[in-house]
Amino acid sequence: MSEKQTPDSVIRLEAVGLTKRYEDGVLALDHISFSVAAGQIYAMLGGNGAGKTTTINLFLNLIEPTEGEARINGIVTHKEPLKAKKNVAFVSENVMLYGNFTALQNLEFFSRIGGKTAYTRDDFRDILLRVGLPATVHHKRLKEYSKGMRQKCGIAIAIAKSAPAILLDEPTAGLDPKAGYDFLRLLETLRNEGKAILMSTHDIFRAKEVADVVAIMDSGRIIMQQPATALVGQDLENLYMHHMAGRTAALRQEQASC
Amino acid sequence: MFGTLVHKEVRAILLSPKFVATFAVCSLLILLSVYIGIREYQAAVRQYQTALQLNEQTIRQTPDLMRLQTKAFREPDPMQIFVSGVIYDVGRWVPISTNAVPQLSGSTYAEDTIFAVFRVIDFAFIIQVVLSLFAILFTFDAVSGEREDGTLRLVFANAVPRATYLSAKCAGAWLGLAVPLVIPILLSLLMVMVAGVPLDVSHWMRLAALGGLSFLLFTFFIMLGVLFSTLTRRPSISFLLSPSAWVVLVMIIPRAGTTAAAQIAPVPSAAEVAGIRDGYAKERQDQFIKDLTKSMSEVGSCGSTLSMKTHDSLRSEADRDIAQNDARVNEGVRNKRAVQERLAFSLARVSPAAAYHLAAMTIAGSDPDLKDRYEEAATVNREEFRKFVEKKGSEGGPQGIRIMASSETGLKIDMPREMGAIDQAELPRFNPPKFGLENALAEVIIDIAVMLLGSILAFGGAFAFFLRYDVR
Amino acid sequence: MLKILIEKEIRDIIGSTKFVITFAVCAVLVLLSFYSGAANYTNARAQYEAAQRENLLRYEGTTDWESVDNMRALLPPEPLAALVAGVSNDIGGTIEVEARGELQAEGSKYAQEPVLASFRLLDLEFLFQVILSLFAIMLGYDAISGEKERGTLRLTFANAVSRATFIMGKLLGSLAALILPLLGAIALGCIILVLFQMPLSGQDWGRLVLIIFTGLLYCSVFLALAVMVSALTHRSSSSFLMLLVIWVAAVMIVPRASVLLAGRAVEVPTMDEIGSQKTAYSAQLWQEDRKKITGFTSTKTGDIQAIMDELNEFMSSIADERDRKMKEFAGRLNEERSNRLRQRQALALAFARLSPAASLSLAMSTLAGTSLGTENNFLSSASAYQQTFADFVEEKNGGIAGGRMVRVKISSGEEEPSATPVNLQEIPAFTYAPIPLSAAFTAAVVDMGLLVLLTMVFFAVAWIGFMRYDLR
Repeated sequence: MSEKQTPDSVIRLEAVGLTKRYEDGVLALDHISFSVAAGQIYAMLGGNGAGKTTTINLFLNLIEPTEGEARINGIVTHKEPLKAKKNVAFVSENVMLYGNFTALQNLEFFSRIGGKTAYTRDDFRDILLRVGLPATVHHKRLKEYSKGMRQKCGIAIAIAKSAPAILLDEPTAGLDPKAGYDFLRLLETLRNEGKAILMSTHDIFRAKEVADVVAIMDSGRIIMQQPATALVGQDLENLYMHHMAGRTAALRQEQASC
Repeated sequence: MFGTLVHKEVRAILLSPKFVATFAVCSLLILLSVYIGIREYQAAVRQYQTALQLNEQTIRQTPDLMRLQTKAFREPDPMQIFVSGVIYDVGRWVPISTNAVPQLSGSTYAEDTIFAVFRVIDFAFIIQVVLSLFAILFTFDAVSGEREDGTLRLVFANAVPRATYLSAKCAGAWLGLAVPLVIPILLSLLMVMVAGVPLDVSHWMRLAALGGLSFLLFTFFIMLGVLFSTLTRRPSISFLLSPSAWVVLVMIIPRAGTTAAAQIAPVPSAAEVAGIRDGYAKERQDQFIKDLTKSMSEVGSCGSTLSMKTHDSLRSEADRDIAQNDARVNEGVRNKRAVQERLAFSLARVSPAAAYHLAAMTIAGSDPDLKDRYEEAATVNREEFRKFVEKKGSEGGPQGIRIMASSETGLKIDMPREMGAIDQAELPRFNPPKFGLENALAEVIIDIAVMLLGSILAFGGAFAFFLRYDVR
Repeated sequence: MLKILIEKEIRDIIGSTKFVITFAVCAVLVLLSFYSGAANYTNARAQYEAAQRENLLRYEGTTDWESVDNMRALLPPEPLAALVAGVSNDIGGTIEVEARGELQAEGSKYAQEPVLASFRLLDLEFLFQVILSLFAIMLGYDAISGEKERGTLRLTFANAVSRATFIMGKLLGSLAALILPLLGAIALGCIILVLFQMPLSGQDWGRLVLIIFTGLLYCSVFLALAVMVSALTHRSSSSFLMLLVIWVAAVMIVPRASVLLAGRAVEVPTMDEIGSQKTAYSAQLWQEDRKKITGFTSTKTGDIQAIMDELNEFMSSIADERDRKMKEFAGRLNEERSNRLRQRQALALAFARLSPAASLSLAMSTLAGTSLGTENNFLSSASAYQQTFADFVEEKNGGIAGGRMVRVKISSGEEEPSATPVNLQEIPAFTYAPIPLSAAFTAAVVDMGLLVLLTMVFFAVAWIGFMRYDLR
């Protein structure tokens, strides 16, 4: 990957007043705004239903925003979804990929629909080696892979697309500590290459370790957003639990008032 | 982009264990069905040739014109290997004589009922029943399955238009499933050629048309499966919907349609029709006897040549009237049957699977109208035959036994003449009905339209649903 | 423990979407098939009565019994034949009965109405054979592998549950969940029969109960098979694929292919050959009799009536002789053919019985009286009738059982006095004696036994398979 280093100031991913209300009336996302610059890792923390995945889905235009917009490289995703999606790679939680395909075949397919047709077999091998998949497993079918290996393959797909922005949805869910550690190192190299990375996670420790900016989300709102540097010394866990506890207390109150 | 997606789709199909299993089963069944078809055809040809010889022999042994009768045989057609239709239900021959009703008789199923118990297995059956099932089961989770695996989200994280994706899905499924079937089909054609089945140009054209129809039906079921996969979020639901839809389309609608038609527009039973015909024949026969008695008493002297001539002319008049009445009654029944057929097939055609079956039968010439076509041709032949006998009789003088009873001379019986052996070549030839490919194609246009419409609706539906499909 | 598991199983199945969808489809179809059976019967009854009327009507106005030389024996429609058609539409439903001569069943429904043959009709047997077996598979295919996939298997076996109890509960529970709702639908169907006033005798109800019992046995075969396959596989998708292939083979392929392949292995003389031999022999006999007839001289003189009577008596006696010889000859040929047919049938059905679908079909049609034996039974009823009819004709015609060659009216030249028509009601009526229930049951018990055996074998394999099942 010989991508030019981009100055930190370039905004790659941006949410402006992003709001999503589902057909059933549930307000999943309530006017959130943030931005992720090149060479930055932005971690969204939060419990189930906080709105993390909805945010990512909005960036991918898998759903349309009720209000506000998500921009990738300045392109509004729900206005020009195809153009926007050229500039973003995505790694999903618990990737299944095509079980009957080998890692190489999966990678080949996704690179091609990602618009990268110039790759050779060797390039694919290099990418797989880079994410930590040894050559012995390149020709194995994905359904024989462990969860960690599948995740690596998913990241390989994202790398192969060499898009300036990467969206990660719960990338470390279910990974063992070793795989988790490897994954974070990989993220760091990607950041150092100048990618803008938006990641959703439950995992406070990893978020603290790798992110540049940490946001805590709850009920579709960003209730706290701080640069990781500001968090040094603070106990993020306490903060997180504090917010979550506040939420549960509020919930209890609501129930009680019913 | 489209190419990449199709390529992936085909590869995904070819690599799946379900493809290996179904492809093996389908190939095996196609080959088996054609093998059985060839054997049945050869058996039918043997039976046909023996029957022709036996008929000739019987004619040669016929002692007099009054007993002369022949049979018009339905020649087995190689197309029956692929689509047997109703050929085992309707008879194999039509009796041709002055007094026999020209109706197809000697149905294989009536004579060899064991074969009727489970009926046939032929190419059309395999396509209609087995392949359609596998086609729908291949695509029922085309979209919902990818959603469940999460790959759909991954794909749409890229710049992929939905329309392109769905079209590629359909095209890929079609290429991955339908094209491999060309192999067993070609093999089975090879088998037919090796077996020495005589195929002429028209047969090849019919086979090509049959192949086209089969792929059309296959397309319909693939599209239907894709439609179901876009209707539901979870494959487990479309998994239930698709076999249910298959049962309804392939098994229920055609049968329910014909069953309903049988009840709404009944056709008089064979026995009833025979009764009606007999009623007239009896009456006319009595009339003939009366006329004969009358003319004899007018002439005054029994046994004169004149009265024999009168007898013959009265006889052939009666025969002609009876034949005409038979034709009239049969015509009436045919019309009723046509009404029933129209109703049954209109109801059945709601299902493209039924449309396929009907079209395949028509293309192969083994459709229910086969009966009418043969019986019409035989009615013409009967008339020629009657004229032949009349002419032959008048040339050679009276036939049969002549009994002269008179109160003066007592009883005298003689057989005027031994008829010489009749050569079959003398008899009017039976011209089998022509049912050209262009007629057949004209008839199946509606079926093709039904299948096309079904495919388009299914694809359009899938398209409409997919544009709004929640790919998360 | 077993009770808890069975309860859970029933609740699990009946509460599932798949059950609701499939059961709704099946219930509608059960009702539809009962309804169409009742409607078919009403229809067939009307056709039968119309034919019966025509049978007599054709003789209306006849003044002498000599004209009444043939009657048609009609196979009466049976209420159960409308529910389980068997081969009743393939065999001839009419036998022309004359005082002499060979009997042959003619005019099968499908030959007469090939439109109906193109898809065949919807009946209870088809419903069980094709639809309910598929239903059983869809209920049972993920019995074990599905619980494994959902993780409930581990959870269950975290308790003190023995594997034997679990698999027992699985089978009994799913059987109950399949059969109980089905019985409800069938009970509703029976109400339809009552509402349509189907003339079902006590014995008929007994037959119906046995038919339904056989059908349920057949369902249990497929359910046990499904549980077995799910206990041998670890993924429900592969279990379903395997079951589907087995289902296609068992229901669609094995019965048809085995009858066609094994059936053709036994050579049976064709009807053409037999017919031709008979014609040849009859021609030969006639040739011999011709000489006798021409050599006939009357001993009486003067009275024409007396001479004619003597002649008729003579003709009748030689016709009797001819008939005797012919019967002997034809009997030999027919016997040979029916021996061969029996061999063919035995071989073909032995192979077909590899599939439970064949056993079901054979048992059901035997119980309903629409099996392969029906035609012979009909022929023997007709044969008894022939005797009665011959006696009747002989009595009416003064000791001559037909074969009267001469029907010349002797008239003295004056107008004949108008004779009174004969009373057609005097003609003896044909009665069909169906195969009694006890005999039918004996014949069907083998197939029912086979179904029980298959259920047990499948269950035993499921049991063994589950004992070694990897519960993780």
